[in-house]
Amino acid sequence: MSSVSRRDFLQALAASSGAVLLPGEVFAQGSPKPGGTLVMAVQPEPPTLASYLSTSGPIGQVSAKVYDGLFEYDFNLKPVASLATSWSESADGKTITFKLRDDVKFHDGKPLTSADVQFTIMEVLRKFHPRGINTFRALQSVDTPDPHTVVFKLDTPAPYMMMALSGYESPIVPKHLFAGTDIQNSKYANNPVGSGPFKFVEWQRGQYMRFDRNPDYWRKGEPYLERIVARFIGDAQTRSAAMQTGEINYGAFGAIPYFDVARLTKVKGIASTTKGYEMQSPIVMLDFNTRVKPFDDVRVRQAISYAIDRKFVIDNVWFGFGKPATGPISSNFAPSGIYTPDVKNYNVPNGADVANKMLDEAGYKRKADGTRFEIVHDITPYGDEWQRYGEYVKQALAKIGIKATLRYEDVPTWLRRIYTDYDFQFTSNWLQNLADPVIGIDRQYSSWSIKKGTVFVNDSGWSTPETDRLMKEAAIETDPKKRGALYHQFQKLTVEAAPIVWVMELNFVTVYDSKFKDLTVSPLGTYSAFNKASLA
Amino acid sequence: MQVARGRARYIGRRLVQAVPTILVIVTINFLLVHLAPGNAADVLAGESGSATPQYMAYLRHQFGLDQPLYVQYLDYLKNVVTLELGYSFREGMAVRDLILQRLGPTLLLMGTTIVLSIGVGMLLGLVAAGRPNSLRDSAISIFALVAYATPLFWVGLMFILLFSIELGWLPTSGMTNIAAFYTGWRKVADVARHLVLPALTLSLFYMALYVRLMRSSMLEQSGMDYVVTARSKGLTERAITWRHVLRNACLPVVTMAGVQVGNLLGGSVVVETVFGWPGIGLLAFRALFARDLNLLLGIFFVAACLVIAVNIIVDVIYSVLDPRIRLR
Repeated sequence: MSSVSRRDFLQALAASSGAVLLPGEVFAQGSPKPGGTLVMAVQPEPPTLASYLSTSGPIGQVSAKVYDGLFEYDFNLKPVASLATSWSESADGKTITFKLRDDVKFHDGKPLTSADVQFTIMEVLRKFHPRGINTFRALQSVDTPDPHTVVFKLDTPAPYMMMALSGYESPIVPKHLFAGTDIQNSKYANNPVGSGPFKFVEWQRGQYMRFDRNPDYWRKGEPYLERIVARFIGDAQTRSAAMQTGEINYGAFGAIPYFDVARLTKVKGIASTTKGYEMQSPIVMLDFNTRVKPFDDVRVRQAISYAIDRKFVIDNVWFGFGKPATGPISSNFAPSGIYTPDVKNYNVPNGADVANKMLDEAGYKRKADGTRFEIVHDITPYGDEWQRYGEYVKQALAKIGIKATLRYEDVPTWLRRIYTDYDFQFTSNWLQNLADPVIGIDRQYSSWSIKKGTVFVNDSGWSTPETDRLMKEAAIETDPKKRGALYHQFQKLTVEAAPIVWVMELNFVTVYDSKFKDLTVSPLGTYSAFNKASLA
Repeated sequence: MQVARGRARYIGRRLVQAVPTILVIVTINFLLVHLAPGNAADVLAGESGSATPQYMAYLRHQFGLDQPLYVQYLDYLKNVVTLELGYSFREGMAVRDLILQRLGPTLLLMGTTIVLSIGVGMLLGLVAAGRPNSLRDSAISIFALVAYATPLFWVGLMFILLFSIELGWLPTSGMTNIAAFYTGWRKVADVARHLVLPALTLSLFYMALYVRLMRSSMLEQSGMDYVVTARSKGLTERAITWRHVLRNACLPVVTMAGVQVGNLLGGSVVVETVFGWPGIGLLAFRALFARDLNLLLGIFFVAACLVIAVNIIVDVIYSVLDPRIRLR
């Protein structure tokens, strides 16, 4: 990844001159073989197919084959052409003009025009999409001077918005099927009509979804695959077995459990990759409830940050699929200048000693039985790794005299405890940084994200006026250098205050059948359209 | 004729009696599921990994969670009475359609399992009881014990390992060959191939029960007075076993089978998960963890109806097997 690439993009964004987007060609080595059925394991089965209403992970894995977005993104996190062929921005960053392709048709044969884009963004995504409400918050109106031109009118510049225009994040839906209907209960939710490379055919609940090649796709000759089938198998071991027998060809986002990856990739014809998650950037964390004692004390939080052995967790819990996290922002943002490693470092070799000393000095002396205090540690109820992670944390805390009792509940109970009742002291957790800090980071650290009853927002209850200000300014700063500096300062202050223990940047892994190629061609990975994928 | 009329009247009355029973079950279920902490809106938003307060409020409103509990209960009662069963907002489908979709695969797996486990179980029990404490008896008893004690998921995985990965004879999971989309008789054969492993796994467990029950029941009956009478009449041992003992020994097996049908719905969750079989057990499991209450209650309702129906059928079978039992 070149270090200037995203900066170029942001500079281009600040410029008022028109920018022409390069078509999203990845490699063109001879013409790929047409035909073939790709069977992908999707876990769990998506609740619906309405990706314009829900960002639930598995939905995007299938919906992105059906719906297009204005942009796609390359591995430098630069936008590349999709429905929009070019775009330009006014000097104040408040007017953005997109030129659309004129040869795009929805699967029902009707053309896709600026009216569909306007309707989708203003009437669907900005109102009902869980992230869209935030992404398009600065958007005042969308104008359509002609069928192939779209003009966004903004209150303030919104650099983050330009990162959220993929077919996964902001799918363009057909106005003629949705307008005037109850959008939240559309009959096209589970019978999607998009403009993407694959057409939805059927959904047998509990079994599979079938998508067939769209012969009228606007990228001529593509897609190469004849069919994509998404299969739902609840048991992880069975998924691994099905991968081994060739009954499934592809599994992303932990569909194949980490402990099976090494074994499976030794089987002939099975390969794996950790690419294709650059716009997710999950960080594995431990969240303090800073409202309760003793975690209202920054010295205690810092001490525990020291006590966690990052390398041990990565190697033993996540089978090496990760690297130590330094703070709230993932190093995946290094190319754009947003990330800095220059913060207080808790990942030191003698962490437990430092922690013990700090706790002694802070007045949390060991009692006769060797413990300082007792806590309950909640475990994120997302599977085996998290349970082992909890067991490790218990041991690490025992070394510094903190007796932890583990609590493992089911997902709804845990969510209720952490995000509605705030009835916890210390929980494991994770946060995806997503495409931009405004979308992925603000929600965890800002005062305006302390919202009782809203999940995956600021559970620790920590915020400061200074960090709030930095996030607010960065959100509308279009100069990449200044924006980077604001986020650097934000990282320094936040890491110092340690409302969270940032343990590791998790790498997801995709396991696939090597008789297929070009399955992972963008940072959106499994959330992309698979129009380039083909038999090798 | 008289017997048939009696039976019909009996069934009719039992069906009428079932109505208040089901209403009580429905009410208790409703209260029970609302005791669980967290709700569908939490889960749905939790899965998205992102949410705004507006989005959460919109979800809660859409799911009717902002209504008082008694309003939700009355709504639900209306849904049950009209057999609509409500709407699963999570799955974006009417609960009735969701359940009907899954009922076929469930009944197929259940039916195969019942036939296989009772058939083979009774046969083995009979063989074992033929010569108590012989080598044959011991072998069958040990087999039954092992089959009963082994966890279902482990048996399932071992079957997959052996028959799918090592031997490559049978598919690992699912109900049809996904990439092929067969039709007609080829589809039937395809489904049958997929049915083998889950049905075998599930049958093994239940079969063990019937082996033991049948064996002890046969032994108990063979010491009865009527057997001595039959023998003194000069009947052959074969005739005594098949015409007299077997018929009486079947009664506890039928009782057990009736009770088991309810269990089978639950026990199949594990097997459905391991083999990706699209049955109701899996749907219930999913609904529970998603707090999809309409769906969960719908499944409970169907299960309750199923158990009541099976109980009536068992009573009728009883009266056929044992004419002394009168249905009234």
